[in-house]
Amino acid sequence: MKVRRSKQVFALILSFVLVLSLMTGCQKSPKVNEKDTTEATKQTDMNKENDKKDDSAKKDSGKDEVVELIWYQIGDPQKDMDTVLEKVNEYTKEKIGVTLKINQIGWGDYNKKMQVLINTGDEFDLMFTCSWANDYVQNAQKGAFLALDDLLKEYGKEMYDNIDPKFWEAAKIGGITYAVPNEKEIGSMPMWVFTKEYVDKYDIPYQEIKTVEDLEPWLKVIKENEPEVVPMYLTRDFTAPTYMDKIQDPIGIEYDCDPNHLVVKNVFETEKMQSTLRTIREYFLAGYINKDAATASDDKSVKRFVTKGDGQPYAELIWGKDLGYEVVATPIMDTVVTNASARGAMTGVSRTSKHPEKAVELLNLINTDEYLRNLLNYGIEGVHYDKVDATQEEIEQTEGRPFVYNCKIQINEENRKNYSVPYWVQGGLFNTYVQEKEPLDKWAEFRDFNNKSISTPSFGFDFDTDPVSTQIAGFRGILDEFGAALYTGSVDPDDVIPKLIKKLEATGVQDVIDEMQSQIDEWQSSK
Amino acid sequence: MQGQKSRKSSFMSRLKRNRQLIMLSLPGAIWFLIFAYLPMFGVIVAFKKLKLTGGFIKSLIDSEWCGFDNFRFLFYSGDMWIVFRNTVCYNIVFIVLGIVLPILVALMLNEIRKKTLAKIYQSSMFLPYFLSWVVVSYFLYAFLNPDKGFINNLLQSMGKTEIAWYSEKKFWPFIIILVSQWKGIGYNTVVYLASICGIDKTYYEAAVIDGATKFQQIKYITIPLIKPVITILFILSVGRIFSADFGLFYQIPRNSGALFDYTNVLDTYVYRALTASGEIGMSSAAALFQSTVGFILILTANKIVSKIDSDNALF
Amino acid sequence: MLLGFKRTKQEKHIEKIEEAQCKYNQIKPATNTIFNIILAFLALICIIPYLFVIIISFTDEKALTLYGYQFIPKKLSLEAYRYIFDSGTNILKSYGSTITVTVLGTIIGLLLTGTYAYALSRKTFAYRKFFTKLIAIPMLFNGGLVANYFVISKVLMLKNTIWVLILPLALNSFNIIVLRTFFNTSIPESVVESAKIDGASELRLFFQIVIPMALPGLATIGLFLTLAYWNDWFNAMLYIDDNSIIPLQYLLIKIESNMEFFINNATVMGIDGVEMALNLPKESTKMAIVVIATLPIIFAYPFFQRYFVKGLTIGAVKE
Repeated sequence: MKVRRSKQVFALILSFVLVLSLMTGCQKSPKVNEKDTTEATKQTDMNKENDKKDDSAKKDSGKDEVVELIWYQIGDPQKDMDTVLEKVNEYTKEKIGVTLKINQIGWGDYNKKMQVLINTGDEFDLMFTCSWANDYVQNAQKGAFLALDDLLKEYGKEMYDNIDPKFWEAAKIGGITYAVPNEKEIGSMPMWVFTKEYVDKYDIPYQEIKTVEDLEPWLKVIKENEPEVVPMYLTRDFTAPTYMDKIQDPIGIEYDCDPNHLVVKNVFETEKMQSTLRTIREYFLAGYINKDAATASDDKSVKRFVTKGDGQPYAELIWGKDLGYEVVATPIMDTVVTNASARGAMTGVSRTSKHPEKAVELLNLINTDEYLRNLLNYGIEGVHYDKVDATQEEIEQTEGRPFVYNCKIQINEENRKNYSVPYWVQGGLFNTYVQEKEPLDKWAEFRDFNNKSISTPSFGFDFDTDPVSTQIAGFRGILDEFGAALYTGSVDPDDVIPKLIKKLEATGVQDVIDEMQSQIDEWQSSK
Repeated sequence: MQGQKSRKSSFMSRLKRNRQLIMLSLPGAIWFLIFAYLPMFGVIVAFKKLKLTGGFIKSLIDSEWCGFDNFRFLFYSGDMWIVFRNTVCYNIVFIVLGIVLPILVALMLNEIRKKTLAKIYQSSMFLPYFLSWVVVSYFLYAFLNPDKGFINNLLQSMGKTEIAWYSEKKFWPFIIILVSQWKGIGYNTVVYLASICGIDKTYYEAAVIDGATKFQQIKYITIPLIKPVITILFILSVGRIFSADFGLFYQIPRNSGALFDYTNVLDTYVYRALTASGEIGMSSAAALFQSTVGFILILTANKIVSKIDSDNALF
Repeated sequence: MLLGFKRTKQEKHIEKIEEAQCKYNQIKPATNTIFNIILAFLALICIIPYLFVIIISFTDEKALTLYGYQFIPKKLSLEAYRYIFDSGTNILKSYGSTITVTVLGTIIGLLLTGTYAYALSRKTFAYRKFFTKLIAIPMLFNGGLVANYFVISKVLMLKNTIWVLILPLALNSFNIIVLRTFFNTSIPESVVESAKIDGASELRLFFQIVIPMALPGLATIGLFLTLAYWNDWFNAMLYIDDNSIIPLQYLLIKIESNMEFFINNATVMGIDGVEMALNLPKESTKMAIVVIATLPIIFAYPFFQRYFVKGLTIGAVKE
């Protein structure tokens, strides 16, 4: 009895104090920024009445009810997600009357889980979608997403104007926008990744190397002088440089195809791919490539001279971190924009969402609000990261460039383990802080990169696979059977490519080519 | 009238007579109604082109029928013959070995003199069961890796030519069978061991008095007495002849294309066909196909068994 | 569980008598040796990989990347275990969840399976055929993933509860049929009939006569259930969003499927995939999780084993 009463008294006093502090807090600043959020934390932990008061005080609109939005994201669940969300919710509740619940589903399970959730009509609001997981096109065609065009005009104006129009163009399917793109690198940039040690030692002009053929003299040098080193290290996930937009692997449109007359081709029948594969085969026979390439997974203990990676600006830093030594990289070809690359990360609103307007409002806030974006991205300041001032010199150097803050951040490695999320799942990257070792104008560089990327002739075309789904079902098995061996040079292309093509033909590849051709003709004539 | 009444009353009295046994089976029956029969309506997904219009039920009703379209991919590819052959052949081998090996092991375990040793052997044989296929595949790779694998190193030191294990398909039927039996032996032994233990010792005592040898005891007492268990497990495994353990055929050969002739089975085929599209109509169709064939086979096997020995049949 | 290791006086006594009896009926010493050699060999090739897992889990990560798997590691380290216990995943909670589910599930499952199988095993049961068919059909036809999800999450509302990990696995036709066969073979109809004449109810019969006589069979099914619950991750993947009740096995499977995903999508994910893969547990940590996820169940194993290695002295129970 006694205990309970004292608890009641305590609660009463506490709420009193809180109401008071809240009121003073309100007077201080109508707009919450990161400096007084610690205060805001205490404030908003109050009972609902305070919230309502607070809300109606701030927003004179009738949206006084706080709604909870459920958001499914790809990525491993994080220990500190709840504490970060607490902070997030404090802020979003106040700003737009929304609290957020994020369900992170492991990488390998995301496809399956979303498929079940979507097909059973489970109720949730937001979901991650893209070209490589929870497939955007198929879900859109199936009816999993809400059309956002009208909502964007009303609730997402700001982000709509901020994000590069190319992304919005890619987000359209049949003229309708079904998801908000997360602004990051727009193109895919296949690169040769060289171990810096050998580049320096043999003074290799790596930046001049483009095609597979260009590598030859240097592979030879390494082979002759460095018996311990694998000149060209390939693994089973390797794909030879491809000069084609594989709309439905292995079918697509070549990059250098006449834009006025697009011809659908099988990649293995193109001259370019065949000659590339022959060259790689030669390398394999010459002993430049590791023998186990077709089945190997990346073994970091293997010393290598060159390997292929799919990069973006500053990718060397990440590869270097992965391997534990410095690497340098150079692009194999001009960066191109395809539907798949521009749809690298997006957020769709579920058809079952009860609050689609709130969902778009939230995405708008995340994509435009410095505090919220970085909170989600890096966690809580002072816990997961600290701000460090950029040097005056750095700031001056970047003068005039967009997306530049005058601070960097230092990650707290210990706490970071408990909150390290795939940040590009949450929203655009260009309003996030850069880390200590990165250049201050990293995102400006990305924007330049995006501007410089060229759209492929097939950019904007979506293939409706419905009429040929039976045929397509057979493709993956055939590609799995021959792909890795062919790409790594483990087998003779002149011998295997005809076999591969024959098998594809038995599975009806011609039907798919014809169907795609007719769809693409129609698309072109309507453009 | 009269007849009806008496039939009714006989029905009631029958119900009453079996009251207690019905009560005992009721909890299980309810479980089956809820967890097995209630979701069964989902079978129609296999015959529909699912479009989302609302909740699951509404979508299901609104979507148009597409006949057997969803099944077509199973028979369309030129590989189908190989896939079916592999699935069925491996399963036949697994069924036979899955009965013979565990019984042999169970008999040996049962006969050796030191029971503590028997326990240790048996526990050890269970260990592989706990390792997932992925982990097993790491180890196998450590052995068979063409560059620095254990076996190739050995061959090299003996002056023999190395073998590219992951592209030489001729070895793989043996590797697959070996690995599967190795992993399953502990688990499979349990049933037989338990049924051998369940045999009344007095049978053997009588046999010893009659001067029967160990071999005769096994032949005339043990095997006949565990025959019902063998038969039932046989019938049940026949029903799964069109299904294969995905991990065994996907992880263990590391998805190496050169081996597909001997490692591509129905489950890996379906997986590769549907990872890209993820069409649930098609995956339901594949599952329905497997279970229908399995059902027919089970009925056939059961029929044959019940002709020979009706006591041991499934139903 | 302690029960498994304790032997009662009576049991010891019976064992002695048995041993004395068995002396007359033993295999020849030579055969015994051959059997021992074969079994020891089998046991060894089964133990070694698991031992290897344990060794790798204690190997220093740097040594692993430099020299690969080694039986005698160049450098030992506890880092993997330290990493697991203070990193994001809450191992202790997962242990709690897995153990609760396994224990509760095995008990519930054994009760349901046992009663149903017993009814089916009774030849006098008039509805035997019907109840057999009832369980035979679902063995082959099921509504598929989406329909199951729909029923469990929307109709039964079990999502995010511990019951969703227990109930769907509690019964299956295979277990019932195997147990029915055990009952049929190990319990003579005469025993049941004589008890019935004495006026025992079916329920009493089941608990007082059938259970003690069919212990090896029950132990087998109990073991199967325990293993099924311990190894289940699929239900957790589908139905559990709440991280605090995620079972151990799912933690392990998730790591493996994450790896697989990054390998399969290396080209499309590009550098993002590389960056994300950096956060994945390292080789030694993976093996440490294998150890953590399997060791307890290995120790629970002898509890079941006693019932099917030593054998039952049915004569002592019967009549």
